[in-house]
Formats: sequence, structure tokens, C-alpha cells
Amino acid sequence: MASTSASAIEGTVTERRGIPAAAFVEDVQTYLSQSGLDANSALAFFQERLQQYRVVEMKLLAQQRDLQAKIPDIEKCLDVVAALQAKKGTGEALLADFEVSEGIYSRARIEDADSVCLWLGANVMLEYSCEEATALLQKNLENAKASLEVLVADLQFLRDQVTITQVTIARVYNWDVHQRRTRQAIATTES
Amino acid sequence: MQQAGSSGSETEVTWEDQQKINQFSRLNNRFHELEDEIKLAKETNDNLEDASNELILTDDDIVRFQIGEVFAHIPKDEVETRIEQMKEVTSKNLEKLEEEKESIVAQMDELKKILYGKFKDSINLEED
Repeated sequence: MASTSASAIEGTVTERRGIPAAAFVEDVQTYLSQSGLDANSALAFFQERLQQYRVVEMKLLAQQRDLQAKIPDIEKCLDVVAALQAKKGTGEALLADFEVSEGIYSRARIEDADSVCLWLGANVMLEYSCEEATALLQKNLENAKASLEVLVADLQFLRDQVTITQVTIARVYNWDVHQRRTRQAIATTES
Repeated sequence: MQQAGSSGSETEVTWEDQQKINQFSRLNNRFHELEDEIKLAKETNDNLEDASNELILTDDDIVRFQIGEVFAHIPKDEVETRIEQMKEVTSKNLEKLEEEKESIVAQMDELKKILYGKFKDSINLEED
């Protein structure tokens, strides 16, 4: 974890895959005098940062949903190829009912399946042997799962930055309120 | 989960505090994801139960078992075996998810104690 020295934060990340990290503010007073901003400008800056984070979050969530839908599809394809391979040895045909159109099903008789055709996207379909198909699908599945892991880590990082920014906004606001109160107190005692 | 609120108090937020707050936020998110996953897993389990019950009642020797997008004609015994396997996989998965959920709840309670201890009213960690 980060070092415990009061002024320096060692070993923190400044950005991750294009997402800027939110700098942690140790002391509000010091931060405002160093950056030369007044409370309102600082708040405006942080609010804008928060908006940018939200936009990126939406994008990442959409990507995550896509991947989470893709993975079960690939697993279903693997099941089908495995079923075809299992039937190959026995010499029996596989009878399957499939959907021709919505609500209309037909029966197919699949004899000794040496090869399968895989839909690769972009209107392209290629024929593969069962083993090659299994290998390809397996690789796609692993890639998808790896991408999902990276994506989840990105989202966690992003959410941390959002939390830090929200806490900083609250602290700057509190500090500002506190300042106004002390100034008012001084003003009333002087008058 | 709400972030550190305000009553104009003086308590300073250190980097360690911030990290604890971040950790709590992560755990809370994971907790909600887990609840959804557990709901799905329970549904799948129930469906498999219903399927195996239906299977016991049916007279046919050949059952149309869904593999991918098609319904393959598979002998009843084989279907029974497949369903048993699927049920085992889903119940193990469900167990794992429940365990993870319990551990997360425990961690969140720990963090709540620490954070409420330091910040008292200035922080709100409850669900809205």
C-alpha cells in the first residue's frame, strides 16, 4: 500500500489506459493555495472531472455487457462441436430439431461430422475440422475471458478515482463552508 | 453507498482513510454483482430441478435436449446423466458465490466499524 509519510504518496499510478488518476488532496488549504484556485473554481474543476469519469464508465460498462454476452455464446458453440465429435465415433447419425423460422422447427439428420463451419463475422464463414474448430473456439473463449478481466480491473480503477474525486469535492466544500463561518464570526465580533 | 458527507466537521481525511473508502466502494459493487449472479444461479438450479422431474414423468425413450441453438435427440438415460452433471456444476458455483458474498459482508462490516469510528456522522455508508 502507499507509504505513510504525510506529504509524499509513493507508488501511486498517475493514469491507467488513458484514464487520468485523481490526485489525492492531503490538505485542502495547501492544495488551494498551491494551485491558486478559489473554492468555487476547484469545485467546478472536480465536477468536470467527475463528468468525464462518468462518460468513460458508461463506455466500459457497455463493453463489459458485450463481452459477458459473447462468452456464453462461445461456450454453447463448444458444446455443439463436442456433441458432434462424440457422435462421430459411434456411427449413428445425430437427429436435431432446429428453428427454421420463428416458431417453425425442422428435423436435421447429421451423419458423421468430419468438419464444421464457423461464422467468423463480417459475412465470412469458414470450414474447419472438429479439432481445429474446438481449438479456435477455445482460443476465442480464453481471449474473451482475459479481455473481461482487464476490463473489470479498469472499471475498479475508474470507480476508485470517482470515489476519490467525490470525497475531495465534499472536503473542499466543507472547508469553504468552514471558512465562510469563521469569516462571518470574525466580522460579527468586529462590528 | 454515500461518500463522506458534511456537517462542517474538522476530521481530516488521510490517504489510508481514502483507500478504506475506496475498498468499501469496491466491496459494495462486488456485493451487488454477486446478488445478481446468485439470483441467476438459483434460477438455473430450479430449472434443472424442474427438468429432471419432468424427465422422470416422461415415457419417451428419446428426449429433445437443447445443445447450443438446436434440440438434439438423445436417449433418456444420457439426458439424465447430463442434467445431473449440470446440476452439480451449478450447485458448486452457487456455493462458491454464497461463500464469496459472506466474506464480502464480513469485510464491509469491519470497514464500517473503522470508518464510522473515525468519521461518525460525517460519513454515510448505508444503502440509499
